[in-house]
Amino acid sequence: MSVFDGLKFRRVNSLIHNLDPRIKFVYVIGVFIATLLFLQIIPLLALFVLQLPFVFLARVQRQWLRSLRGAAFLASFIFLINIATNFFVGGYTLTPEVVESAAAMTLRFVVLVESFSVFFLTTSPDHLGLALEQSRVPYEFAFAFTTAVRFVPVLAEEAQTIMDAQKARGLELEKGNLLKRIRNYIPVLIPLIVSAIRRSLELAEAMESRAWGACKRRTNLYRLCLHRGDYVLLGITVAILAGAIYTYFFVSIPTIVNLL
Amino acid sequence: MALIEIKNLTYTYPGGSKPSIDDVSFKIEKGEFVLITGPSGCGKTTLCRCFNGLVPHFYQGEIKGEIEVAGINTLEHRTCELAKHVGLVFQNPENQLFALSIEKDVAFGLENVGLSREEMRKKVDWALHQTGIYDIRERSPHEISGGQQQRVAIASVLAMEPDIIVLDEPTSFLDSLSAEKIFEVIYRLNREQGITVVLVEHRLDLTAKYANHLIVMEQGTIRLEGEPRDVLCNQETRLIGVGIPKATLLYEMLKKEDFSLGNKPPLDSEELADQILEALK
Repeated sequence: MSVFDGLKFRRVNSLIHNLDPRIKFVYVIGVFIATLLFLQIIPLLALFVLQLPFVFLARVQRQWLRSLRGAAFLASFIFLINIATNFFVGGYTLTPEVVESAAAMTLRFVVLVESFSVFFLTTSPDHLGLALEQSRVPYEFAFAFTTAVRFVPVLAEEAQTIMDAQKARGLELEKGNLLKRIRNYIPVLIPLIVSAIRRSLELAEAMESRAWGACKRRTNLYRLCLHRGDYVLLGITVAILAGAIYTYFFVSIPTIVNLL
Repeated sequence: MALIEIKNLTYTYPGGSKPSIDDVSFKIEKGEFVLITGPSGCGKTTLCRCFNGLVPHFYQGEIKGEIEVAGINTLEHRTCELAKHVGLVFQNPENQLFALSIEKDVAFGLENVGLSREEMRKKVDWALHQTGIYDIRERSPHEISGGQQQRVAIASVLAMEPDIIVLDEPTSFLDSLSAEKIFEVIYRLNREQGITVVLVEHRLDLTAKYANHLIVMEQGTIRLEGEPRDVLCNQETRLIGVGIPKATLLYEMLKKEDFSLGNKPPLDSEELADQILEALK
């Protein structure tokens, strides 16, 4: 099922993939704050460009472009709404300033999408679970998270099998109006849910058989520890934030309209 | 003392009208390769669940009798305590792997017990080598074949270094070739590591030759028990509907026609071939 393709994490060995997810998250939050400081197009453009090296170092350009394309609809919506409100509120005139500020708002959104997509494209669910665990999130939650990710492809396959089986018995999924179509999916959903429940019971049994809950302080085969790259990224984050705050307070940012 | 000792065990699932296991008694000695077989619904799986305390702790229900595994009374101790002594491998390989990498799955039990990282690493690598999946240790469970998944499941109980490994129809989702490979792995563990094996299986053609103790169950009771050759030649076994190895069947047919084949019934085609060649000389 193509819907679930995006959830399958592709294991790539790159500098960015091997970074500590916690530090990567700090970086994303840093960029997030820096982005929210500015309403002008030039600093936002700088923030956008600043993240491109990460995308290329991680070699996820193609997936990254796809996620940006996914955000395109919302981005154009933001652009149009901004223009429209300025147009109606500002006395029915369309000045270059209005267009520029709308573009800046849109760019702000794109930068946010960009940074979060880099994070999720380069962080394996395994690492994410580990980061949760080491950030003192109770193990049960971290386990639930990784197990859910583990079973996404399994359930997707099962849904496909059930759909094929029901179609073979004459179920027409793509027939009728919207409401009818939703109703068509009931014979697919019920077996899917029943089998998921049964599966979860078997899983519980297997966990129990492998000493789940044997001792209070559970250990872990892996441990996240900070390497040189992580400190570099932390430094970059601090630099971006410091630069952003300095610019915000002490530099008067020209607009493109002014420059022209 | 026997490693597993069961006395007059009777168990009924909650809401069940009749007992799934009905007055069963037997012993399993250390180092044995025990094969349990019988028609579907005869209580084999329930018996497996008794070995590590899933019955009665996980399933509740009504239980009577005594059951002792590795000197521990399973009625009084929880499954997680028994997990160090009994490793249970289930039928569906997919539903017993929960981690995103094979290595992590093998470590799951050890993590629960709270072992240190260094020791864990050693045991995990050992288990991965024993089952021949060391090279794929970083893959995710859904990327590998069913046979490999089942080997991961075996490795993950093996890493706990149990006294007993119980396998509940581990090959019913697999083709014959992968099944054969699984049985070879199990047999090697039994022979080289001295681990007691309890295997529930229908494919006697492939497994009878490994076993030295065969139990045939029917409707919650043990119908026949003993040395595989004796049990398989017993006429009663045939009536229960056990898949007797073809080599054993052929041997009996030839025997009936006064073909002199020696007195040891064969358990697989190689043994039979040897006997026929001997007779033809």
